[in-house]
Amino acid sequence: MKIQVRGLTKAFGGRRVVDGLTFEVEPAAVTGFLGPNGAGKTTTLRMLLGLVAPDSGSATVDGRPYAELPDPGRTIGAALEATGFHPARTGRDHLAVLCTVHGFDRRRADEALETVGLAEAARRRVGGYSQGMRQRLALAAALLGDPEVLVLDEPSNGLDPEGIAWLRQFLRTWADAGRTVLVSSHLLSEMEQLVDRVVIIDRGRLVHAGPLAHLPGGQVSVHSPQAEALRTALEATGARTHRTRPDALTVTGLPCAEIGRLAHRHRIELHELTPESGDLETLFFTLTGGGSGSGSGTGNGIGIGAGSREGK
Amino acid sequence: MERQSLSRLVRGEFHKLFTTRLWLWLLLASLALTALYASLLIAFSDGSGTWTPPLDTAPGQQTLFAVAAGGTGTLAAVLAAIGVTGEFRHRTATVTFLATPHRGRVVTAKLLAYASVGAAFAVLGLGVVTAIALPWLSAKGIGLSLTAHGIPGTALGVLASVTLFSLIGAGLGALLRDQVATVVALLVYRFVAEPILTGVPALEAFSRYLPGPSSSALTQITLTTQEFLQPWAGGLLLTGYGLTFALLGTVWSVRRDIT
Repeated sequence: MKIQVRGLTKAFGGRRVVDGLTFEVEPAAVTGFLGPNGAGKTTTLRMLLGLVAPDSGSATVDGRPYAELPDPGRTIGAALEATGFHPARTGRDHLAVLCTVHGFDRRRADEALETVGLAEAARRRVGGYSQGMRQRLALAAALLGDPEVLVLDEPSNGLDPEGIAWLRQFLRTWADAGRTVLVSSHLLSEMEQLVDRVVIIDRGRLVHAGPLAHLPGGQVSVHSPQAEALRTALEATGARTHRTRPDALTVTGLPCAEIGRLAHRHRIELHELTPESGDLETLFFTLTGGGSGSGSGTGNGIGIGAGSREGK
Repeated sequence: MERQSLSRLVRGEFHKLFTTRLWLWLLLASLALTALYASLLIAFSDGSGTWTPPLDTAPGQQTLFAVAAGGTGTLAAVLAAIGVTGEFRHRTATVTFLATPHRGRVVTAKLLAYASVGAAFAVLGLGVVTAIALPWLSAKGIGLSLTAHGIPGTALGVLASVTLFSLIGAGLGALLRDQVATVVALLVYRFVAEPILTGVPALEAFSRYLPGPSSSALTQITLTTQEFLQPWAGGLLLTGYGLTFALLGTVWSVRRDIT
């Protein structure tokens, strides 16, 4: 099932949070919905799910707005940020209530808890859950109806590295089964290893949409006393280069290993070979012109934009 | 492809209610309040200058059973209000409206569920009055028959009154959305504003249309000098308040963006 967003627009208090947004989400792939905090991701997802009414435009699943789906619970599962749980209700009861409303067998609650690794805490009150456990419970709720489409808003928030690895594997299996998944995040380093396609937005507008493999390559910084010779060799392969210092180049379009191999073949001495940044991150800064553009951090958890959390 | 039936949504609301303890505390509190009212009324009934009719008369016994409405009605309304506003306070509205995108149906299910809970409160409250009155009056040598002296009519009035108060609580919650504001509004209205309004002689022509006097109309009993209407008129008024709040709430408040 496809998600289609067309000309979606929403203003809060005169400020356009989502502005003429158009994109599609294909099945059988993990699609990352990326943008800095405040870019309009959560508002877009809430419009897709019928919780926020668009000012104009449409968002459909399988050709229909959410409220007109014949059986939303079995079609699309969603785990949204700022989703609440009654603190006095147990995790299992939270899901059991949803089973009652949807008419699912109560066993689905236990199966979903098992899937997300929350079976042990199932009979404890949600008030005592950690952020990561709440994320898992929200995901379990999304999975209850065994839906075709999964929409996850910042699912890795509060998950430990083990949880994130698990999520990655889970979403991979999901997409490989031909189902649709749209997962939002402002954490690029995480998403890069998670998604096949990206939809990038900034200030409510589409910046880039397409397969991750087609993203413009990252840059590699190379130091060499024979910079000019290296430059000639590199450009012969079609890579683009830029001389930053007499003994330094930045190379676009070739990975480090290829550059090293080429230098070795031409007997060119190298002093340094450094990938400049995560591809997605570079791309993001290039496309949005946001941040300092230094791209210096490739470590875990480097976010984009320093704005406050959207959606309050 | 089936649509969620309303009965499934009502069952969902019951399921939500009974997976937390709040209902139990409010039920116990309202039964305790009912027991207190009934006990006071019986204990002071034979003093001179008492303001209630003697308990060996039909009006006296009807008054005794009518205290169940006073004891359970307000707290049943508070429970309904908390049940509705809790969706916004705990941000469970997101999950609820994801499961049921038709918000009017969610409101309808809550009205039905909490009206039923109100009816149950009323029945249990009447049970408490009975359990206190039967032995106590018999010890005083007063005969009490639950099927005589118009008591069935009073009991029906109590049932209708508490059921409709729950409807008002749920409707007001849908309109205001804010839990504290709704509960405070209910309590301040019932215990402060209404007694003042009904005590002002100049307002007497209007104050009989207020919820409290409408409840008195249903039981045809009041412990004040307040005038009240016919039972059917009181019932219609209370239903009207509840449904009007719920309708305005659905259109203005519940339909708003859930962010």
